[in-house]
Amino acid sequence: MSPSLNVRIGALELKNPFLAASGTCGYGVEIAQVVDLSTLGGIVTKGLYVEARDGCDVPRIAETPAGLLNAIGLQGVGIRAFVDTVLPQLRTHDTAVIVNVCGETVDEYAEVARVASDAAGVHGLEINISCPNVKTGGIAFGTDPSMTHEVVAAVRRVSRLPVIPKLSPNVTDITVFARACEEAGADAISCVNTFLGLAIDVESRKPKLAFGTGGLSGPAIRPLAVRMTWQAARAVKIPIIGIGGIASAGDALEFFIAGATAVQVGTLNFSRPNIYAEIEIGVRDYLERHGILRIQDLVGTLTPRRVEAAGP
Amino acid sequence: MSTAATPPVADRLCRLTRRETLSGPYALLTFEHPESASASAGQFAMIQPEFGYDRLLRRPFSIMETDPDAGRFTIFLKAVGPGSRGVFDLREGESARVLGPLGHGFSSPRAGENVLLVGGGYGVAPFALFARSLTRNNASFRLFYGGRSESELPLESELGRRGIPLTLSTDDGTRGERGRVTAPLVSALNSLKGSARLYACGPEAMMHAVARIAAERDLPCEVSLDPWMGCGLGTCLGCVVWIQSPGESKPRSRPACTEGPVFDSRIVVWPDA
Repeated sequence: MSPSLNVRIGALELKNPFLAASGTCGYGVEIAQVVDLSTLGGIVTKGLYVEARDGCDVPRIAETPAGLLNAIGLQGVGIRAFVDTVLPQLRTHDTAVIVNVCGETVDEYAEVARVASDAAGVHGLEINISCPNVKTGGIAFGTDPSMTHEVVAAVRRVSRLPVIPKLSPNVTDITVFARACEEAGADAISCVNTFLGLAIDVESRKPKLAFGTGGLSGPAIRPLAVRMTWQAARAVKIPIIGIGGIASAGDALEFFIAGATAVQVGTLNFSRPNIYAEIEIGVRDYLERHGILRIQDLVGTLTPRRVEAAGP
Repeated sequence: MSTAATPPVADRLCRLTRRETLSGPYALLTFEHPESASASAGQFAMIQPEFGYDRLLRRPFSIMETDPDAGRFTIFLKAVGPGSRGVFDLREGESARVLGPLGHGFSSPRAGENVLLVGGGYGVAPFALFARSLTRNNASFRLFYGGRSESELPLESELGRRGIPLTLSTDDGTRGERGRVTAPLVSALNSLKGSARLYACGPEAMMHAVARIAAERDLPCEVSLDPWMGCGLGTCLGCVVWIQSPGESKPRSRPACTEGPVFDSRIVVWPDA
């Protein structure tokens, strides 16, 4: 029998645990011309505020070893334009739609969440409290546990959809933030957003990005993200969605074993938008080889190398 | 921009069928990719050799020639960094991951218009394909091909062989007229009778200069912008350019990969302006 890839994120059932990460798949419709969206468990939209935003100046991206540094600045169409003009198109695809909710204030997060929740065809809300590339809000909400709690609770109050805060890795102890989210009523946690970085053009002695610093993603951050997924998964009971540099089935498996119930592919969407088929085949093959009937039985099965060891 | 029916975009591993090394860091590469073989002039493809951790992203290349019957397209390539070097180093028979055809190309000139093409350095590539359709439509055109020195005009004989009327210039005078490519362009415009339309592809400063010349004379002009691109699909939003159409109160940032790379020069807000 073929292994089951179904997973649950709160009340949301996903046909498979492979999602496209926010900011790497547009609003889904952009990649639909080269990817069959119905093969994905879901897509997480580009971050949305109440109003449209233009984002940062260019250059916005720089390639780094096994990574990508970006400061896009949450360019977007705004939640109402998304609901009115993009969602009707996106809804025609058989995949879960998770809206990435942004705000400069707690009220704005709640307003975006309310509009998204009222729209038919939205299946979940990912709360962006971790963007390092905006001057107001963003990471500020994700690096102070009381503010994290406040934002998540505010969104929780206005929505019945699964609420999934996306944590920043730019903190000393991610478990503090994972617990704050759980206590505020989150259904799951996305773990993690990009790591704050700086790339320098040595000839001009200027940052390579117009914004200055940026967020680092890609395979370079994967061990960091796997470790944080492992820590967060042990700190809370709600499911974790692991994110960070997944470029193969083996990479995805690391996250499941570390404790992720689902995973998101990010940076690799830019160069390998068809990677999902390859990941699914590889994960199915792994489950069959190991006699595991359901992907959820693999979640959090990391085995210590030595019984007496303090670490993994 | 071009409203011709666009072929579907395809992302697939495809074979390099022909590789011709030109002088220095330049080469012509032909890939088997039926969709991109139907590209229109000004469209591009994102190309990456096999997946590698040290060049995560594909690189954009203008489509220089197409052979729809054989399902092949050709790019003109200059190896400048690790991404283009990886493509440059491909050998015949090896495979690369190709996404294309992408973007909006050049719009067609009106009947009777004099067409002036301005290509700087390796920016000349899309004009080879464009010249083919201009010739087919009996358009009167000339290509102004400029570089810093003779070594930066590696396509001269290839373009000449196609019968493209060329005016060459180099900054150092080693080939053609000495000076910027805009000098012979202005001379040609001064002696031109009838309406004209300009198209430019090359370094940003050159395209901006051509846009200014067009604006001074109130001539239509299209430029092919080339900001750093990450994905080609409009999802990374890395390659945005600032656009301000008539009637808009402020510029908007738009991805060059999907809304360009060819833009009406009058709506482009130039970074050095």
